[in-house]
Amino acid sequence: MDRRALLTSAVLAGATAFGSLAPETAFAQAAAQPVQPGEKDPNFAEGRVTGLVDTMLMVTGSDNTLWRIRITQGTSIWKLRPTTLDKVAVGDGLYARGARLADGTLAADAVWVNIVNLQVHIAALSRNTIHFDHRGKRVVGHVVPGTSAAVYNGTPAIGDMSMVQVGKHAQVIGAWLPDTNEIEIATLHTSA
Amino acid sequence: MTSLQPILLAAVLLWSARLKTFSKYAESSARRSPLARLLGDRRAVPAYRGVGVIEAAVAVLLLVRPSIGTWACAALGVGFVAYLAYGRLFAKEASCGCMSAQPSPIRARSFLRAFLVIALALVPVPVSLAGAGLVVAEALLFAALSTELDRHWLVPLRRLKARWTHPLASPGDFPVPVASSVEQLQRSSAYRELAPSLRSDLREHWDEGEWRLLLYSVTHAGVPASVVFAVPRLRYAPTDVRAAVVAESGETLATLHSAAQPEYAI
Amino acid sequence: MTGVYGEVSWFCCGSSWGPCGTAGHGACGTCNSGSYQHAWPNTSDACHAITNPEACGTSLSRRGCGFKHYTTNRCTGAKIGTTIADCGPQTDLFCGETSCCGSVCGSNRLIDLTPAAFSAIASLSNGLRPAYVDVV
Repeated sequence: MDRRALLTSAVLAGATAFGSLAPETAFAQAAAQPVQPGEKDPNFAEGRVTGLVDTMLMVTGSDNTLWRIRITQGTSIWKLRPTTLDKVAVGDGLYARGARLADGTLAADAVWVNIVNLQVHIAALSRNTIHFDHRGKRVVGHVVPGTSAAVYNGTPAIGDMSMVQVGKHAQVIGAWLPDTNEIEIATLHTSA
Repeated sequence: MTSLQPILLAAVLLWSARLKTFSKYAESSARRSPLARLLGDRRAVPAYRGVGVIEAAVAVLLLVRPSIGTWACAALGVGFVAYLAYGRLFAKEASCGCMSAQPSPIRARSFLRAFLVIALALVPVPVSLAGAGLVVAEALLFAALSTELDRHWLVPLRRLKARWTHPLASPGDFPVPVASSVEQLQRSSAYRELAPSLRSDLREHWDEGEWRLLLYSVTHAGVPASVVFAVPRLRYAPTDVRAAVVAESGETLATLHSAAQPEYAI
Repeated sequence: MTGVYGEVSWFCCGSSWGPCGTAGHGACGTCNSGSYQHAWPNTSDACHAITNPEACGTSLSRRGCGFKHYTTNRCTGAKIGTTIADCGPQTDLFCGETSCCGSVCGSNRLIDLTPAAFSAIASLSNGLRPAYVDVV
């Protein structure tokens, strides 16, 4: 049986509901925060991809830390959308969270490639492109049909970007195109 | 009066002085300007107001004694250029604070405007009909170079263009973006109950009939497993969201239906 | 102060890649994306003049660089302690904006966490979460 079919039937055909998890198990008190406020988190990596070997990402941190990040079956990879390791390229920027192993590698739970979260003004619109003002600099945002979503005044996200207005404030989650001032838009929060 | 130029310059300087001295936004404008970086927060406000007073004085001089006033105005223009250069180099985040309380970053247009002030001060325009026309053109150029005034003409123009050209409209139906399904998922009680044990972000998603399936990694009873959520794809009904926790072996460990209750808030 | 309810988002600071590269080390000069830190809207008069949370009807205490806040993601109960390293977010630009999970909703941007801190309690691809911010 195909893996997706198995998972699909598990959730859709599962007639027996095991009931809801009790609040106390769901919201189990987390252990004390292992990293003190203000300190660096050893289980978090940031930097740019310098190499790819098998399932290992070589990453050089912006502070020149060298990271080896192991991607497993259970690792989520985001690059504009959920994607797979073969879509990650040398030169990409990333943030990763996981567990630091004894040999210094980071076994990643989640990797976000080229992700940016910008507070911007909408300066102009052109064909499938939104021009943003970000801290006085121009950032070009590409609308990717089928992926880009807009949230107007906190309403559910929709694919229709046509209500985006010049002059409004916005927050945009997107994927940076390395070494340019361009991004692809994932979610745009703005007001209509 | 032998030139029309001083009248335009005086009007510009008085406008600018009004913001710096009488406007209720003067203080916040000062704190956002490069002066805050140059002189510190506390001294920025009086210095900013001081600049306003100097501008007003030069404006009066331009009207009363244009021969001296134009030179004073040119000197002020040189000062503006130096101030903008400082801001551009050392206070990149700062707002110009020049002519309006509207935050406006220092750009090429700010410099062009300061150079325009110097040029206008030094080149006389004779009192004649043609001269008057020229001064009106100069005033329009000045407005075009003022980022503070963009919202009065440039933004409406761009909105008008967007209304005519519909640059972001797409033909036909919109596929439901995954972000929308994720958001619906997050509004379900099934997600909230499982969220504390989720380890990964969204790993993959696929559609099955009216459902969209979203896959995450989870720690269930201390063991790594997957959780698959089924979210209605074409309707908004967070209470219909279901979940199944599946072990790596393929065995279903738990299933969960959403409910309006129980919910517990923090 | 007792805790405040609102929204949490994330921002990058320190040496970094992409549009973040120019962000610098924040108003406190210590901010780094990989550390447990945050931006707070009321760190000084100058900061408060820009963020203006009162415009959204929220009053926040003045806190200086290095002050500890604890932010709870109200979707999961996950809590993270961070120190102030920058001024922000610009609360007044997003008054009334709401993000929800389950029946729990939060309005108004009160705090921006670094990617390291935000990813410890939520996912970076979700820019906004309802949050509770306290000093313990």
